[in-house]
This record gives sequence, structure tokens and C-alpha cells, in this order.
Amino acid sequence: MTDSQQTVYVVEDDEAVRDSLELLLKSDGKPVSTYENANTFLKDYSEKMAGCIVLDIRMPGMDGMELQKKLNEKHSILPIIFVTGHGDVPMAVDAMKEGAVDFIQKPYREEALLQKIEAALEQDREQRKTLGEKQEILRRVKSLTPREHEIMDRMIAGQANKVIAIELEISQRTVEIHRSRVMHKMGTHSLAHLVRMVLSVKDLIDPR
Amino acid sequence: MTDAVLETTDVTVLLVDDNPQNLKVLYETLKDKGYRLLIANDGEKALDLAHRHQPEVILLDIMMPELDGYQVCERLKADPVTSDSAVVFLSALDDLQAKVRGFSLGGADYISKPFQAQEVIARVKTHARVIRLERELQARNRQLENDQARILNSISEGIYGLDATGVIVFANPAAAVTMGSSAEELIGQNFFDLHFRTAGQGRESLPVYATCSQGIAENQRDIEMLRADGTAFPVEYRSTPKLDGEELHGAVVVFRDITAELESEQALENARNMVQEQREQIAHFSRLTTMGEMAAGVAHEVNQPLTAITNYARVARRVLAKEEPDHQLLEETLEKIEAQSHRASEVIRRIRRFMKKPAAGKDVLSISALLEDTRQFAEVDIRNNEGGVEISVADNVPEVLADPVQVQQVALNLIRNALESTRSAGFSAPVEVAVTMSGRRCVRVTVTDHGVGLPDDAEEKLFLPFYTTKEEGMGIGLPMCRSLIQAQGGDIGFERPEHGGACFYFTLPVAGSDGTACAPDADSSGSAV
Repeated sequence: MTDSQQTVYVVEDDEAVRDSLELLLKSDGKPVSTYENANTFLKDYSEKMAGCIVLDIRMPGMDGMELQKKLNEKHSILPIIFVTGHGDVPMAVDAMKEGAVDFIQKPYREEALLQKIEAALEQDREQRKTLGEKQEILRRVKSLTPREHEIMDRMIAGQANKVIAIELEISQRTVEIHRSRVMHKMGTHSLAHLVRMVLSVKDLIDPR
Repeated sequence: MTDAVLETTDVTVLLVDDNPQNLKVLYETLKDKGYRLLIANDGEKALDLAHRHQPEVILLDIMMPELDGYQVCERLKADPVTSDSAVVFLSALDDLQAKVRGFSLGGADYISKPFQAQEVIARVKTHARVIRLERELQARNRQLENDQARILNSISEGIYGLDATGVIVFANPAAAVTMGSSAEELIGQNFFDLHFRTAGQGRESLPVYATCSQGIAENQRDIEMLRADGTAFPVEYRSTPKLDGEELHGAVVVFRDITAELESEQALENARNMVQEQREQIAHFSRLTTMGEMAAGVAHEVNQPLTAITNYARVARRVLAKEEPDHQLLEETLEKIEAQSHRASEVIRRIRRFMKKPAAGKDVLSISALLEDTRQFAEVDIRNNEGGVEISVADNVPEVLADPVQVQQVALNLIRNALESTRSAGFSAPVEVAVTMSGRRCVRVTVTDHGVGLPDDAEEKLFLPFYTTKEEGMGIGLPMCRSLIQAQGGDIGFERPEHGGACFYFTLPVAGSDGTACAPDADSSGSAV
């Protein structure tokens, strides 16, 4: 979890639309950054950015759809709201498949746009929070010694202390000590919670 | 005519005397001179022989019983067959009165008796020769008159000979046919009274009058003349003064009925109008098609300012909602709203101007201003083209005479094609539009792209109706362009630039170059189509 403030990133080639959107969002109290084309945004992009992107589909050079693909390659989790002058269905479907959160047609009602931005920001917060939690779990998992990790895997698999002791050819007492260290390091008292935590990051742990 | 010719020709001489001795002497005198000699010993015989043989010369004794020489002469002159024979009186009467009487009756000469042989021979020879020449002259005249009549009769145009007052003195058969009357009926009538309804109100303003009265030649078309039955028909005529030296003797009028001609001209004109009308309708249809293809781009272009306006308006309301509104910000925001509405209306104005039906009229216009307008309009459609359109205009390019709507359509078609071609080839170089002079009478506009170039068979196919290389094209673009440019008196074609891509050009006549069409450049290396 970073402390970066949520910002609305506006990528729009039309100067008037860009300027008016910036004024509007600022008057709504939202931090705004504007970019006149996809390339300048891509140069600026870092994964620390929080907030959402308001992205015009039709732009000279790299268009909105291409920028979305490039961001996906960089594992960006920034929600994207597509704006277009003429949202045709196939384009909307493609954008949604690529993970866009919303699609809005010009000229839009400002309330609708602000609502969608609000929702995108909420989604961003959620994603970032989840991501933060997962990263905390990962950090804790990584603090385990190899032996402790081994014991934890067997705990999650539901093996009793006695079985673990026999299979690892250690004393039951030693298993109990490792077990309490695992619970301590992972910051929980409940086996069920431990299981949930580890499963949520399962795809992030290096398979051994 | 030589003597030798004359002597070998068959000249007949009639000798008339009641005295056999005299006849014998005359006969002896003239025989062996190459004449055919006829002899009569009284007046009746003489008349009979003269009528049958038409002698050139008649030697006629005056003093004869029954018919004397004077009476014979009178009757000879009264008979058209013998009237031209030369009558030479022979008489012992040597008084002046007798001679005068003889001449007054048409005698040609007078020989006193007793006559000298040499005198008779000389006089006969002279008169024979004169008569012979006269007859030949008459024959020649008749021949000429016949030739002339045949020529005049075979001419399909009507011909009138008029005297100075307009009375018809000659009419050829074609004139009679055209006027629905016979030549005899026409001759003697007054041309103006006969053929013009308004003759009663004065002839001064009528056709041909100036030729008859002042010797001024005329040549007019689509004049209305009346036939014998009073029906009117359109005429083209030429009138030439009939002059004898300086003196004016009336006029010769050559005319023809142009009813059929006018009808076929009218039919041609109608067909031409129909083609023009259809060309305009196709042009309009083509514009609507172009517009349809561009609709998405246009919608986008109008939406941009509308979106900005909506945003600015909301900002303005928020500013106002504050306890201490920021007036400067409000002012700025309203200005921006205004600017964006102008932008939107400008787009709409351009669309409307493009969509409207052609006024079908040529204007004097600035080609660079027209192209700039077209460029802005095309950019509605080309937001995905990074390069855009670059226009360069040579110095001092004059204004052209053309229909602005049609020229704009051609320019737009060529520019859009060029942009599409560049885009589909994956290039981002701009489409180059250049305006230069072509000779002194034409302005040349070239549109060069950096696309994939033209197919090998482009020369044969590109300008064919409904031929297209595009998946969704209708193939009315280039043929339409050619039709439109040709209607302006210009020329259209393409070249293959060395760097690849394609270069289309069209020319337009410079305003004030008398509508001279821009022929394809003789020195142009490109393939004019």
C-alpha cells in the first residue's frame, strides 16, 4: 500500500474537452493530471499511481484501446473509464474484455461522469487495499523459515501435529513450537484465518 | 474566229431577183467562195427558202412584181426564224429615200446596180461573218443561261433576285418549294409584302430592306417569314446587294427553312441539359454518400465542442453557487463556452455547405481558400491520421472560374482517398496538396500521398464508373470527379511519383481566360486519363 493520493488522469487529444474536464474535476475537488496523447501518459506511468484514467478512444497516433493494452501488459490496476464520441458496441465490448470499468459517450451528463469516476476511485481504493493486504500476507509468509513454511503447508493441508512429527521425523513438541511461531508470525490465532490468508495469496507464492 | 474557219463553215446566201440575168451574174460572182447559194426569182419563193434554210445573208432585189423587196424584208424580220438574217438590198434606185426606207425596214446594207463583183463579194463576206458571230454569241449566251439556270435550279437553298423596291424578279425552284408557291406566282410580287406580316407598318426594319435600299449585306438567323398560305417558318438568310459598278440594282437573297435544324438543336440542347441535370444529381448523390461515410467523424467533431460546453457550463454553475463567486473565472469560462459554440456551428456550417444542392453556377473563386476550407472539413474525418494535410500554394496564383461546391467535392474526394491510402499503408507522412500554375491559363492542384501506390491497370480502370479498390467503396468517386472537372473546363489525371504513393491532379481555367478549356499538358510526363 502506497500513500499516493488518488488522481484522475485525463488522456484526451481535444484541447477544449481536456481543459473543460480539468476545470470541472478540479471544481469538484479532485486532483487532476491531463495528457494530450497516449504516449505522454505512458511515459509518465508508474505503478504507484492511484486513482483512475478517463481515456478518449479516438486519438491520433496511439488510440485509447492501444493504451489500455499497453497498461495491461504493465499489470496496471488503474480503472479506466472510456470516453468516446460514438461508442459502438464492438468497441465497448473489446474495452470491457480488456478490463475497462466503464464506458461513457460524449456529450455526457456531468453527474453521470462524476458518478462513474467516483465508482472507479472506490474500486481503485478497494483494489489497492486488497493488494496491500495481500502484500502484507506475502511479507509475513516470506518471514517464515523454510522449516516453519513446511510446517505451515502441512497445517493448511489439515495434518495433525502427530502426523507432521512422524513424517518429518521430529518430536511432537518441536512441531508445537514451530506451529506457535507460524501463528505468531502470520499474526493470527485461528487456523481457519490462516488458511484463508494463505489461499488468497496462493497464486503469488513461488511454487516449490 | 478566223476567216478560214468561217469559210469552211456552212454559210448560206439567198439570192433574190426577178431578173434571171441578174441572178446568173450574182450566182457566178459568189460561186466557188465556199457559200451555199440559194436562188429565188420572186418574193414568195424567197420567204419560203429563207424560212426553211435560215440563210445568213439575203441579197434582195427591191423592184419585183407582186411582193417587192421592202415587203419581203418586212416579213423576214417579222418571222423569228429569219429575223436575224442580214438583208442586203440590191437596186438601181440610188436615191436617198429608197436607202432610208430599206434601212428602216431592218436592211443591213444596200448595193447599187449595176454592181461591182468585188463589192458584192466583200459585202457578203462581211455580213456573213457578222451574222455568224452573232449567232454563235447567241448560242453561247443561251448555253450560259442554261448553265446558270441549272445551277440555280439545283441549289437546295431558296434564291430570290429583288429589284431596288423589293419586287421579286427571280425565284429559283427551291424558293418556290420553300414558299409553297410557283416561281411564276412569286415573280412580280413584292418580297416584303409577300413574306412579312409587319410589312404594312413600314419596311425599314424588315430583313433585306437595307440591302435593297442601301446595299448593306445581311446575314441573319431565326427570322420568321410567311409562306403563300400565311403560315410562318423560321429562316436563315444571306442577302447581297446586286451592284452594277457603283449602281445598286436591288438584292440577291439566299435563304433556307431552318425548322428542322432548330428542332434538332433544341433536342440537342435538351439532351445537354438533361446530362447536366443528371450530372448534378449524381454529384449530389455522391456528396451524400461521402457525407454518409464521414458521418462518424462529423458526429465526433460536433460532440467535442458540445462536451466541452457541457463541462464549462457545469463549472460556471459551481462558481456561481459559491458564496463569493470568482468573477474572473466565471468570465473566462463563459468565453470558453462561446468559443466552443462557434466551433460547433462552424463544423455544422461546413457540413451544410457541403450537403447543399449545387447552385450550378460558376464563380470567380480563390482556390487556396477553398482548399483550406476543404482541409478543415476533411480533418473531421481524419483524426486517426497523424500526418494530416499540408497545403502549399505557389506565389501569385490567380483566381479561377468554377463551381465552388463541385470543385470542393473533387478536392475532398482526392484528399480523403489520399489519407486513406496513406493510413492503410501504415505511414504517418502528411498528404501534400500543392497549387501551381499550368501554363498561363490554368491552375493545377496536385494531391500526393504516401500510400501503397496505384495498381498496374489503373490507367484503364481507375476512372471507370463503379470500379473500386475499396472493400466498402461504391466506385463513384473518381468518375464523378472527372465528370465534375470536365464540366469546369478542366482536366484530371494521375501520376506515379518516384518516391511511391500516388499523385492525383486536376486543372481549372483561370478566371478571365475566356472559358478556354485546360487541355492536357503536352509536356506532362504523367498519364492523363
